[in-house]
Amino acid sequence: MSSDTGIGSETPERERTGNAVVNWMEGLSEAAYAYLLLIPAFLLLAFIAFYPLLMTFVMSLQEDRTRGAETLGGFVGVENYVNVLTGDVRLAQQFMDVSLSASFPFVDFGVPLLQQALFVTLGFAVISVFFETVFGFGQALILDQEFRGRRWVRVAIILPWAVPIVIQGMIFFLLFQPEVGFGTDLMQWLGLFGPNPLADSGDAFVIVLVADIWKSTAFMALLILAGLQSVDRSLYDVARVAGASPWQRFKLITLPLILPALLVAMLFRTMDAMRVYGLIESSVGCTTVPSLTCMVVEAMFGGTRIFGTAAAVAFMTALVIGLFISVYIALFRDTEAGFY
Amino acid sequence: MSPNDYDETRDDGTPSESSDESANVRGNRADPRRHLPDGGRAPSRLADGGATLGAGGDAELDRGPFSRWVDRSIQNPQRVYRAMFYVAAIFFLFTTLFPFYWLLMVALTPEGQLRDIVFTPNGFNPGAFVEVFQTLPFHWYMFNSFVIATASTVLVLVIASLAGYAFGRLEFPGKTPLMLLVLVVSFFPPAAFFIPLNDLFNTPVEILEPVMSDGTLYNTPGAMVMPISAIFMPLAIFILTTFYAQIPDGLEDAARVEGTTRLGALFRVIIPLSAPGVATAGVLTFIAVYNEFFFSFLMTDGEAENWAPILDGILGYQGQYEILFNLMAAASIIGVLPVAILVIVAQEKIVSGLTAGALKE
Repeated sequence: MSSDTGIGSETPERERTGNAVVNWMEGLSEAAYAYLLLIPAFLLLAFIAFYPLLMTFVMSLQEDRTRGAETLGGFVGVENYVNVLTGDVRLAQQFMDVSLSASFPFVDFGVPLLQQALFVTLGFAVISVFFETVFGFGQALILDQEFRGRRWVRVAIILPWAVPIVIQGMIFFLLFQPEVGFGTDLMQWLGLFGPNPLADSGDAFVIVLVADIWKSTAFMALLILAGLQSVDRSLYDVARVAGASPWQRFKLITLPLILPALLVAMLFRTMDAMRVYGLIESSVGCTTVPSLTCMVVEAMFGGTRIFGTAAAVAFMTALVIGLFISVYIALFRDTEAGFY
Repeated sequence: MSPNDYDETRDDGTPSESSDESANVRGNRADPRRHLPDGGRAPSRLADGGATLGAGGDAELDRGPFSRWVDRSIQNPQRVYRAMFYVAAIFFLFTTLFPFYWLLMVALTPEGQLRDIVFTPNGFNPGAFVEVFQTLPFHWYMFNSFVIATASTVLVLVIASLAGYAFGRLEFPGKTPLMLLVLVVSFFPPAAFFIPLNDLFNTPVEILEPVMSDGTLYNTPGAMVMPISAIFMPLAIFILTTFYAQIPDGLEDAARVEGTTRLGALFRVIIPLSAPGVATAGVLTFIAVYNEFFFSFLMTDGEAENWAPILDGILGYQGQYEILFNLMAAASIIGVLPVAILVIVAQEKIVSGLTAGALKE
């Protein structure tokens, strides 16, 4: 193990410089060595995440310039933000378009809720994570049992999680494509969908939800399964002897013990759901169901060169997600050992 | 209410030594509903010794399979749970697998007959799986995807190994804040990084001039590998931190005493001993990168020769004038195969990796 580590060298030139580096590294204190090891990771993060984030913020304070060589104009403060919030932008979708009114229900929607990026994104996150948690729990309870062929059932249940987003979108696009799929006929027969669900915001929103639930339930199931398998089995024996019914065993033992794992899994999924873009783009299209990320891309490539506005929307997207996650963490901080 | 109760009541018809009285009583006690439909019949038959075997058979037939099942279930609730379990398991298997099956049916249907496909294809055209490669250079897109995913995985594993070692095995001031900083990155939507990165990758850099015609990173693997690696690195760091922290200090100390350098100890002791953890982080990163949409979609112009990954290939069958639905479906199936195989081979690693990563955080 120690033969080729620098002592006793045959190729002097290379080894000597190598030795210098090694010796220097050996001489570092533990803390200095740790920082040295962290440099690559933080360089990458700085280059890809921290610097762009800062730049996005700076850009969002600058004027849109639709003509000329320069893409951004002078400093305009929060004007871009105000414009986005008041719906005063040249964009197909609105970030949020509500105004207060005197009559019930006290708010006016400029455009329907499902054409407003903020509500689409929040609604999508809350509803999809709710169903994914419920179904994921069901799947996890099944995978927690001992039965023959469990390995293959587990493969089948994980499989949707591993499907590329574009293929997930494609499957549901084809299912509800009126010419090819039977989804439209089925849903129309049930009286739930209109004739062209891919072009109708409400129907398309449901399609995106179903597609996301199909894929991400597996992820929830795996994380919940991990929680289930760490529960001490003897607790169930004790409960059984004490005469607890299966429901009581679930409510009083399983649920409290896996709650931390469950909340972490929900946090992850919520963050992910609020960034939704690829699924929408590859299935129903961003014009039908505008999410926050959709809006950023639209503003960026919409052809009108409103980069300042695009940056403002991007930064607001990050803020909305940050705010939502903070509220989530604050709400559940006190629950059982918590996270962080 | 154990299964034994049930067996007892079943038996009591056959021996016939027991008097009608006691048989009836025992039967009733164990299952009040059992003799209700054929009221006094069973006792009277029991009385004439020889017919008892037949009587048992008759009673079973009378009740039919469903009510018999209900009877048993009432005596033994465990049966209901098992049945519920099977129903739920089959339901979930159906919902997860049916979309794949249906996709295969669409792919097998000849192009002109794509209509109302539910359980069977309209016709049989396996040639679609060949046409996929003739219409577009789909193999090229797949190759690009593999290169991007492999390069990102290697980059992530190397950088995350160094960081995971620092976080998992060393003590230094500012450890927790730095870990949180890494975590915070995964909170932000890619959209928040995207605009400046897009600018940056479209800016010509002189050193790249000889390599790229216009000297920009746009349309190169680098434009995708770097952001994608940064996005998926936090998860790998957390998985590796967990695994590296579990290696006993003694093993590393022994190697150091023998004269191994610090980095040597990491690469010759810690990483080999945590091979399962490294494999896990690698598999998860590979799948995540292969599946990524945002940067893969926006950092190239979608041409196979410009390093566009499979997602552009699949969307490519959606031409301006016609959409080749069956080829889209066939391409999707081909695109899923590599990850499906990876899931089958490495399912244990995936499960343990997601678990370790999530529970740690």
